[in-house]
Amino acid sequence: MALLTPFSKVPELNTATVLLVENEEELQSKLANALVQYKKDFNVNVRLARKLPLPVENKETRPRIDLIVFVVNLLSERSLQSVESSLAHLHSDCFLGKVCFLVTDARCGSHTQERLVSVRKLAASHQSPVLCAEHRTVDGVNAAAVRLLNILKVSAGMSPIATTALYLSSLTRCSVTSDLEED
Amino acid sequence: MDQEAQSSQSSEAAAKAVLLEECEEQFGLLQKLQNEIILTDTEANDDQSNEAVNRLIAVTSELEQWQEMEPKLLTTSPEVLLAVGKEELQRLNNQLKMVLSCSQAKLDAQKKILKREQTWQAEKKEALNAVCEKITRLQLENEKSEHSVLQDMKRKINNLKDYHSSLMEMLSDMLAEHFPLPDPQGNGTKKKRAAAYDAEMNLISLSEIIERLTNKTLETPHDPYVITDDTFWPPYTEMLLRNGIATRHPEDCNKIRLENFFGI
Repeated sequence: MALLTPFSKVPELNTATVLLVENEEELQSKLANALVQYKKDFNVNVRLARKLPLPVENKETRPRIDLIVFVVNLLSERSLQSVESSLAHLHSDCFLGKVCFLVTDARCGSHTQERLVSVRKLAASHQSPVLCAEHRTVDGVNAAAVRLLNILKVSAGMSPIATTALYLSSLTRCSVTSDLEED
Repeated sequence: MDQEAQSSQSSEAAAKAVLLEECEEQFGLLQKLQNEIILTDTEANDDQSNEAVNRLIAVTSELEQWQEMEPKLLTTSPEVLLAVGKEELQRLNNQLKMVLSCSQAKLDAQKKILKREQTWQAEKKEALNAVCEKITRLQLENEKSEHSVLQDMKRKINNLKDYHSSLMEMLSDMLAEHFPLPDPQGNGTKKKRAAAYDAEMNLISLSEIIERLTNKTLETPHDPYVITDDTFWPPYTEMLLRNGIATRHPEDCNKIRLENFFGI
C-alpha cells in the first residue's frame, strides 16, 4: 500500500508544492491559476488530483508535497465520501500540519449544513483546519488562494522560525463545539 | 567616488559569497537529515497508531527542540543583516498598519451598534413607562369604582342643589323687583281707605304665594289646593290664573292650585 508520506523527499529551493484533491474538478483549475498568478516571493507548484492514492508512475518525478488540500463541495454527497476514502491513503504523519480542508457552497441549504458539520467533525478528528470558500466569483477564488498561500508558506517551512506547520495546525485546527455534537 | 563604488561593490560581492557559503552548509545539513529520515521511514512500518499519540509525540519533541535551541544570528555580515532587518521591519510595519485599520473599523462598527442599541433601549423604556402608567391608572379606576360612583352622585347632587338655590335666588330677586307688594301710598283720593285697607290685612308677596302653592303641591299631592284668603292680593292671583300658572278648583272658587307643568 503506497502511502503518501510527508518527508520522504528533499525539498526544493524556494519552492512550495501544494496538492489539490477534488472529486468534481470544479474549483481545482481556478484555484490553481489564482495560486500561481498571485504575487509572492517564492515559487508555487500546484498539482491536481481527483483522489488518492496518486498514480504510481509519477512517484519519482513528483516533488515533495508540502500541503494537501481536500476540496469538498457540500452540494454533492460523493465529494465527502471520496475525501473520506482518500484519507485512508495518507500516512498519519501528514496530519501534523500538512493537511487542510476546503469546503465550498457552505451556505446553500439545509443538506449543506449537515455535511458541513460532518466535515468539521472529520477535520477535528484529524486536527486540521477547515476553510470555507466561495468558488463562483473571481474574488472568492482569489481570497481562497491567498489563505491557502499563507498556510502553504508555513507548512513549507518558509515562515520565520517560530512558526512550524505543527504549531499552525494546532492554532487553526477545526474545533467541534458541544452544541454541534448535540445536533 | 569611483573608489567608493568599487569598495561597495566588492563588499557586496563578499557578503554574497558569505551568504552562499552558509546556504551550502545548511543544505548539506538538510541532506544528511533527510537521509536519516528516509532510513527510519523504511525501517519503521506505518502502523496506524493513534493520531493523537502521534501528535503528542511530535509536539513534545518540537518543544524539546525549542527549549534546547539558542537564538543565533543568521550571518555575521552587517550588510546582509541590514538588508534583512530593513525588509522585516517594513513588512512588520505594513502588517501592523493593517491590524490598526482593521481594529479601527471594528471599533467604529461597535460604536454604531452601541448607539443603535441605546436608542432602541430608550424607545423601549418610554414604551414601558407609558404602559406602566396606564396599568396603574386602570388599577386605580378598578379599585375606586364603588367609591367613585358614590362621589359622582354626591357631586351631582351638590351641583343640582347649587343650581336649585341659584334659580330660587334669581326667582326671588325677579319677583321682588317686578312684582313688589303694592305700596301703601296708592292714590291720593283713596289714601285713607287704601291705608286702612292695607293696614288691616297683611298682604303676602307673590313669592310667598308661589311658595305656598308649590309646597302644598309637593307635600300633599292628593290635595294641592290652597285657599285664597284676604292675604292674597287679588291682582296677583288673577295674574297667576290668567297666565296658566294656577287654576281654580272646579267647584270651589276660593281654591287654587299650581298647574301641572311638570308632567311625566
